[in-house]
Amino acid sequence: MNNQEAVFEKLNLVYDPELDKSVLEMKFIEEVDIHQDTVTVVMRLPTFWCSPNFAFIMAEDIRNRVMELPWVSKVLLNLKDHCSSEEINKGVSEGKSFEEVFSNLANGDLNEVRKTFQIKSFKSRQEHLLRELINFGVDKELLNLTIKDLNSHLAIRDKTVLLRYLTLRSELGFSNHPNDLAFLKHTGERIDPLKLSEHLLEARRTRLSMDFNANHCLGLLETRYQTQISEEEKENKYESCSTTCVQHAIAF
Amino acid sequence: MFKTSNGEEIFVIDGHIAMWDGSPENQLNRHGEEFISCFYDYHKNLSPKEYLWDYEKFRKYTPEDLVKDVIVDGYVDMAIFQPVFLTEFYKKPFGDIEVNAQLVKKHPERFISNGSFDPRDGERGLVYLEYLKETHNIQGIKLYTADWRGASKGYKLTDDWSQRYLEKCLELGIKNIHVHKGPTITPLNRDAFDVADIDQAASLNPDLNFIVEHCGLPRLEDFCWIATQEKNVYAGLSVVMPFIHSRPRYFAEIMSELLYWLDEDRIIFGSDYGIWEPKWLIEKFMAFEFPDDIKQETGTDLTLSIKKKILGENIARLYGIDIEKQKSLLWNNKKASIKV
Repeated sequence: MNNQEAVFEKLNLVYDPELDKSVLEMKFIEEVDIHQDTVTVVMRLPTFWCSPNFAFIMAEDIRNRVMELPWVSKVLLNLKDHCSSEEINKGVSEGKSFEEVFSNLANGDLNEVRKTFQIKSFKSRQEHLLRELINFGVDKELLNLTIKDLNSHLAIRDKTVLLRYLTLRSELGFSNHPNDLAFLKHTGERIDPLKLSEHLLEARRTRLSMDFNANHCLGLLETRYQTQISEEEKENKYESCSTTCVQHAIAF
Repeated sequence: MFKTSNGEEIFVIDGHIAMWDGSPENQLNRHGEEFISCFYDYHKNLSPKEYLWDYEKFRKYTPEDLVKDVIVDGYVDMAIFQPVFLTEFYKKPFGDIEVNAQLVKKHPERFISNGSFDPRDGERGLVYLEYLKETHNIQGIKLYTADWRGASKGYKLTDDWSQRYLEKCLELGIKNIHVHKGPTITPLNRDAFDVADIDQAASLNPDLNFIVEHCGLPRLEDFCWIATQEKNVYAGLSVVMPFIHSRPRYFAEIMSELLYWLDEDRIIFGSDYGIWEPKWLIEKFMAFEFPDDIKQETGTDLTLSIKKKILGENIARLYGIDIEKQKSLLWNNKKASIKV
């Protein structure tokens, strides 16, 4: 893997917190420039007014993820055409926090916001897996499946979704031991089998909000920057967060 | 009036239209251009090709355009102006209540003019509210909680001053509070992602109606929770409607959620004209059916009687419009018919 590919692999781990899609899937990354140990990431968003807090979260995550590469010593962020471009670019490139950058406008820190959206993403990713299993015909044993079962289950055709679910589980503090139950509420309690359909409906609503917004944002970005994509590609993008998509993103 | 294929005539009220001026002459600074250009992106992204406007018309259309697009071609019997001032971006208000008033004066049986307030105006804003009631006899208010005011990038309905304004509305008999809770824009983290302030405002003011424009999207699930608890909270479909064209399945999913949680009496049609024309929205809506799996999963359906409620009956109740009376006035009376 060359340096460029390594950076894209890291960028694919950065999510729009509100959409639960990576910044590559959302086409938010316009350009990556590498000069020795300095990486410049050019980023763009669907509107001039996109919420600065979400923009900041993504910008900060980009810096932190790319900095994980051992050969990188500096990440310069260039968010273009945004109402807070100047503050965010300067702040993130200098390693400042959201509160320092927006001290006059923000109250409370961003961790709460992050947590709220981690829980939403957790529900949404879990719902995706549960539905694949139900559609496959899994019935009574659904809520007794373990992590090990999931890893080898024929119903889970797309391992990316599973990987994303497991990553988020550990970020929320759950262990991913092979014998652990695969499906729990975000609070750690077991899901009551009698209330499974209610649980699924609630999760569906969360997933729906995120998907709807992702569609909306991608459409706006296309209109704003003429990043046309084919209908076929669009289908792939929203049917699943597939590996094709990741590969495509890495290739562009 | 929309006529179904078997001849039934449906009375239509558009709950969300605007007459705006986003032209370069009216722009105060670069944000004025950025704002209208962002609206135009919405328009381009979600409109069918044959309904795309050129940018010049989009930035500033005429009252004649509006009457033609909404009333003459758009099946709309009555429409409600929801003005947004944006005085930090534009010289004259972007949506100007005085301009709307001229259209109301010309066609009083067709248009209803709402006002707006900004709680950051303090005492003088309360006086302005009295002026709006006395001069324009407004029955409703459009609030834009993300509007800028100096260093402030927005306000919340839970702020003390907001509550004072809401009490003043009740005192003046202004009962319909339309609040923009849509796709995320500024302000910052204090308000950017939730519709939660509706919850408290609706509980504290049970005699006011809160119409949440754009259903709080993308925070639909938060909105549904609040609306389930607070019976004076309504779903305004502006911005939701155009997805019927580009993403019909998502549209069905959202409508089914709203029907499941809010019931059919609290969902209100709005085109968001001039971003989208009511003509194609209403045609597609009347022809729309839920996919079978969505009907099964949520136990909801978009029947003709529900469509009629959404297109007019629900908001008629809020604004005290007697539909039968209006029908005979507008449909049978030659004087009230509009020619362009």
